[in-house]
Amino acid sequence: MTTVPPLADADSRPDTAGIDLRGVVKQYGTQAALRGLDLQIRDGEFFCLLGPSGCGKTTTLNLIGGFVAPTEGEIWIQGKRVDQLPPHKRPVNTVFQSYALFPHMSVLENVRFGLKMDRVPRDVSSERAAQALGLVGLEEFGSRMPAQLSGGQQQRVAVARALVKRPAVLLLDEPLGALDLKLRQRLQIELAQIHRDVGTTFVYVTHDQEEAMSMADRIAVMNGGRIEQLGTPEEIYRGPVSRFVADFIGDSNFFEATVEGAVAQLPDGSRVACAGGRSGAATLMVRPEAIVLHGGDGSIAGHVVQTSFLGSYIRIAVETPAAGAPVIVALRDGAAVPALGEGVMLSWTAADGVVLEPGPAA
Amino acid sequence: MSSDAGTATAARAPGERLPRLASALGSYVGFVPAVLLLGLCFLVPLGIVVCYSFWDTVDYAVVHDWTLGNYRYFFSVGAYVSTMWATLWVAVLSTVIAIGLAFPFAYWLSRYVPRKIRTPLLVLVIVPFWASYLLRVYSWLTILGEKGVVNRFLHWTGLTSHPLGIFLYDRPAVILVLVYLYFPFGALTLYSSIERFDWNQLRAAMDLGASPLQAILRILVPQIRPGIITAVIFVFIPILGEYLTPQIVGGTGGVMIGNLIVNFFQEAEYTRGAAISLLVAGFIVVLLFVFRKSLSTKEAYGA
Ligand SMILES: Nc1ncnc2c1ncn2[C@@H]1O[C@H](COP(=O)(O)OP(=O)(O)O)[C@@H](O)[C@H]1O
Ligand SMILES: [Mg+2]
Repeated sequence: MTTVPPLADADSRPDTAGIDLRGVVKQYGTQAALRGLDLQIRDGEFFCLLGPSGCGKTTTLNLIGGFVAPTEGEIWIQGKRVDQLPPHKRPVNTVFQSYALFPHMSVLENVRFGLKMDRVPRDVSSERAAQALGLVGLEEFGSRMPAQLSGGQQQRVAVARALVKRPAVLLLDEPLGALDLKLRQRLQIELAQIHRDVGTTFVYVTHDQEEAMSMADRIAVMNGGRIEQLGTPEEIYRGPVSRFVADFIGDSNFFEATVEGAVAQLPDGSRVACAGGRSGAATLMVRPEAIVLHGGDGSIAGHVVQTSFLGSYIRIAVETPAAGAPVIVALRDGAAVPALGEGVMLSWTAADGVVLEPGPAA
Repeated sequence: MSSDAGTATAARAPGERLPRLASALGSYVGFVPAVLLLGLCFLVPLGIVVCYSFWDTVDYAVVHDWTLGNYRYFFSVGAYVSTMWATLWVAVLSTVIAIGLAFPFAYWLSRYVPRKIRTPLLVLVIVPFWASYLLRVYSWLTILGEKGVVNRFLHWTGLTSHPLGIFLYDRPAVILVLVYLYFPFGALTLYSSIERFDWNQLRAAMDLGASPLQAILRILVPQIRPGIITAVIFVFIPILGEYLTPQIVGGTGGVMIGNLIVNFFQEAEYTRGAAISLLVAGFIVVLLFVFRKSLSTKEAYGA
């Protein structure tokens, strides 16, 4: 990586204001759901836990929320150790995937419920509940019953109900999972706006990389009960630390390679540019949009086997002896598109050739 | 019923009177057997009981003189009135205990027990029904009696030197056996309504600061209220009319209003027996009326 991300420095600073998981292990019987998790989430940030199903995202969230006790390790929130506290003693509230609205109460009563449990006087709680409903754009809907709302509206009620308690941390477990794509995209924008408005730390679980990329300040990519990589969306996209991460986030091309310095030798003998970082056998990863079609030094030869017009860009697949699978290239709209079967030369800058540990396709 | 529907339809479309009427009648044909059965086996006997309760008995024969004497007599005898109150509190207490045991059972079964194990457990709850009612009540004699299991155990441990008679022939024994008999009704009814509950709601409530008890009382209970009321009806009302259990394990100390009714009829005091029967029936009708209201409220949550 050539660009130093501005946040890289802050990573090492102990941040007592946020959430701190230290060596957390969660064992279900003999099966480990989490294997030694160290994670610092900063105060006020929008943090995403991203990973495939079963990797331990929900378990991590439940540990922070207090619904699950860690087998080992410590959990700190705002400088206070909380792993022995019950859920309601933690400055944390949750938005459940199924919303879990109370069907026998009106929307306003749902939102007021948490304040009622805290014995907030009725006039104050009504006002704060109305405010919270305003925050999610549902001020007109207080007297409706949950069953009379659409899925997106119910989801926003769930957010309002959790935020009305002004928690230090809001936990969201795939809150948009049940909604269709259009509505999901709209609510992603709304949730990010709400996050900016309230300044609460959001810990957001999703298996949808696009969702994570579009909302998060930082993402932890999880795999098999571990954090594989932690960073901003850009850091992770440009500098994945493993084939798993590269594969999970965005499209990528992989080449088996032998690396020496900033040069990688591919199976067909061609020598291409790479960022280096390790030498010997390696996997070289190049993003589709980093590849340009022109010959010269450090390029590989192939021929076009498919071209697809995808609106904002044109995707072509190039078969080449340098790689096992066709190489995917994303051309910006307006670029010259080669014809099917046409021979092309592919190249990329050294910074775009990411060198990873060697390994077979995931 | 059927003629009502027929004329209502006919008023709207006089031109198609006959076919409409026929199809309206046709749609009610299915009720005919039920109506006949209800009429013959329920309404006619009920009418006879009502008449009897306002007639008089002279020399073991019913005479058709209209009178309130049977009712007056019942309320004039202190022992009868106190038996009535005793019946009420025995029924209330047994119901509270039976439902109080059935609720945690149903809660535990639907929340924590894997589906595969639930059916065998539910079958276990129903198993007692395979034995006859009488058998099940009599079996308690062999548990609580002077030569029963409890006394033998106490004797064996050396806690007692001679058998104790205190376990049988009083209200505690009646309540114990009634709870045993009616627990399955409560458990099955409650289970079927708790089973559909979304447990995330309880977690959400606790996440919002409710204690476990608050979460159950404010979130679960209001949503399964129809189930709770049905369970109470299934337990409380049959207990009100119980007479075999108090007779077998209650002795003279455990008499309930059902025993009074039986006694009157056995002594050919049909009209007095009918009056008490009708008092109980009237009380139950009033109860059902009260319950019916809370059964229907907000069931659909405005959906
Ligand atoms: N209550 C539980 N009992 C046993 N295993 C569990 C339980 N909850 C989760 N697991 C296991 O722990 C792992 C992580 O689960 P989870 O945190 O739910 O994953 P994710 O939310 O990322 O899909 C999975 O392998 C899952 O089967
Ligand atoms: Mg999950």
